[in-house]
Amino acid sequence: MRKSALLGWLLLAPSLVLLGGLVVFPILYNLWLSLFDKHAFLPVQAFVGFKHYRYFATDAEFWSSFYYGVVYAGTTMVLQIGVGVPAALLLNEAFRGRNLLRGVVLFPYMIPTIVAVMLWKWLLNDSYGLVNHLLVTTHIAPRPVPWLGPDWIMASLVVTSVWQFFPFVVVTYLARLQTIPPELYEAATVDGASAWRRFVHITLPQTAAVLFVIVLLRSIWMFTKFDTVWLMAGEGGVSRYVRTLPVYAYARTFTYLQAGMGAALAVIMFAMLLVATAIYFKAFRGEETFA
Amino acid sequence: MTDETRSPAVSRRHFLASVSVGVGAAVLGRAPAAIGQQVRELQVWHTEVEPQTVKTIQDTSIAEFERKFPGFKIKQQPLGWGDLNTKLLASFAAGSPPDLTHLNPFMTASLYVKNLLRPMDELIRALGEHDIHEATLKLQYFDGKYYGVTHAMGATYFAERRDLREKKGIKPPETYADMLKLAEALTEGGRYALQMPGEKLYIGFVHPAEWLAGNGGAWVDDKTWRPQLNSKAMIEALEYAQKLNKFQPQGWSGQKYLDTLAALATGKVAMAHLSGARTIGYIEKYAPENLRSPEAFMPLLRPHGPSGKVGISALDGENWAVFTQSKYPNEAFEFLRLFYKKEHYMAYCHSVPIHLSPIFKSMLNDPAYLANERIKKWRPWHDVMVAGLKANRFLPIGFSRPSDNLLPFLAELDGSGIVADMVVEVMVSGKPPKAEADRAQKRAEELLAQLGHKRWS
Repeated sequence: MRKSALLGWLLLAPSLVLLGGLVVFPILYNLWLSLFDKHAFLPVQAFVGFKHYRYFATDAEFWSSFYYGVVYAGTTMVLQIGVGVPAALLLNEAFRGRNLLRGVVLFPYMIPTIVAVMLWKWLLNDSYGLVNHLLVTTHIAPRPVPWLGPDWIMASLVVTSVWQFFPFVVVTYLARLQTIPPELYEAATVDGASAWRRFVHITLPQTAAVLFVIVLLRSIWMFTKFDTVWLMAGEGGVSRYVRTLPVYAYARTFTYLQAGMGAALAVIMFAMLLVATAIYFKAFRGEETFA
Repeated sequence: MTDETRSPAVSRRHFLASVSVGVGAAVLGRAPAAIGQQVRELQVWHTEVEPQTVKTIQDTSIAEFERKFPGFKIKQQPLGWGDLNTKLLASFAAGSPPDLTHLNPFMTASLYVKNLLRPMDELIRALGEHDIHEATLKLQYFDGKYYGVTHAMGATYFAERRDLREKKGIKPPETYADMLKLAEALTEGGRYALQMPGEKLYIGFVHPAEWLAGNGGAWVDDKTWRPQLNSKAMIEALEYAQKLNKFQPQGWSGQKYLDTLAALATGKVAMAHLSGARTIGYIEKYAPENLRSPEAFMPLLRPHGPSGKVGISALDGENWAVFTQSKYPNEAFEFLRLFYKKEHYMAYCHSVPIHLSPIFKSMLNDPAYLANERIKKWRPWHDVMVAGLKANRFLPIGFSRPSDNLLPFLAELDGSGIVADMVVEVMVSGKPPKAEADRAQKRAEELLAQLGHKRWS
């Protein structure tokens, strides 16, 4: 018995080492780092306990970043579902060119983020962008709209992000749609159920579990999204209007050069996500959903 | 066929032994290079990314260095200067900084106080201490020693449509009030008077430093280092910037420096707020052919504010630095001697004429230097820079006064975006300058305290 237990531990060891090295250690190191005043690159550090956490509790920049993060994550998540689910329903129907369209829909998700953002910045540029050119030449707008200026930058970022990430919702939702037994729809049709009622009473309950996961994952990923936000406005003067928490954490670490404060922000984000996820599970994960 | 005429038989063992001996001899024959003489690599980082500049350095100073020091190879790495600081600091963290690098002058003090720089007095004297322009000579001069030498000077200023201004009969502006009048006059028929670059670096660091310098202000109090972001000088400058904003395209804050040059060249704006001699390239490429000359496009020095006496612009000029951790410091200094060797250095400066103006006073007026075709064509641009240098109209990027070279926190202040936030809120969102300045002041005080630079009570 002891021999087999030992063998078990030995077989587990590589996984434990990997998990420990790649997940547990960085989290603990980050936690430790957050208790220090540490220069990002130079060997200068001093233990300060929970000072950074106390500072952020009253830091206006932190709360504004939190606000922008929630707005960005919330809006993009809702819109991704709003665009992705109908697109998946459409692509689940039989029509000519469906396979081609399924491939095309994936395109935004496959291209590198930098390309997607550059593309949208070109399109939205108010000097030479196509969007403004069309708006002005068709007299929809009297003059170019400053899409990349403070008033519109969040909307532009949301549009870019939704375009880039809604294919994830399409693919995931479509995969689940394809496993729903067609007999259910046939029986409902025979019973005289309209398309809407079939959607509400068959499709939605059948796909509730996958929607639950999509909402959870997309919320977490959008709340922690860094690259798209940074590339869209990180270096610009308008960055403060889309400065989400990951961007603020990056700035604290690599531009303020305060690695300890950056680490504290990462810990706070981690805690926020843990709490939000726990509440989400408690509120929506009913037994029947996963039955 | 008899035995005598047959080729001698070669056994497998014999063949393998012969091959082994051959290979061994070949390896041993190259032993000094392969084993004894490791190729030593001198890492050189710099911020001149233009391909022709990179090639010029390679073909001149690097080629001569490698001829003189056969055991060495030089690996030059051109970096955009926005990337330089982060990459450099990361290399320190990794314990392997380059042997020789460009530094932004506003970073140098921070590295000096941490004992990371080597003095280079001997080199400066060899180059000609009295021939190096005063605008750059003592930027890295701490405690009686030199810790850097500027690679080249590039003045920044407005680039204006001189023809449009002259048509209006308006003189170059001397004060903020003059500039606002000029901007109003040039905003017409769908064209805006000017455009600022939207990058945080410029509107949150380079330009505010110029505004402070040209309005009798400074980033911090000289003695206590207490930030001066809500000083009279800054508030006046913010009020000016807020008024100036009316004459810019609405979306300027989302655009970049190069967009402003394109807007100038294509006639969308009459002035690019930030310009250097690189603008010439844009003019020659995108402006209507009949306008590609100094008659239509000229530099314009900055106006001064109500509390200042003379307008100040940023002087773009990183300095070479050798670190205490450099692996081959002596060779790095040897390379610098070759870099500044007259023929190499002139070729370097000619690789982007006027943008890379020589630091040597003698060369600035050297007929051989001035004989360059582009300098001949755009000579008025060169002359504006020389006149500006004579009149002390330039300070290094991010400096509000010469003694800012002693502040070890300018890079952090720039990186924090505190000033950029203030400027954008005032200019674009139209918020009251005083309130925003107070908010920025509070944040800057917090930052300096966190960084351990608080000297005020």
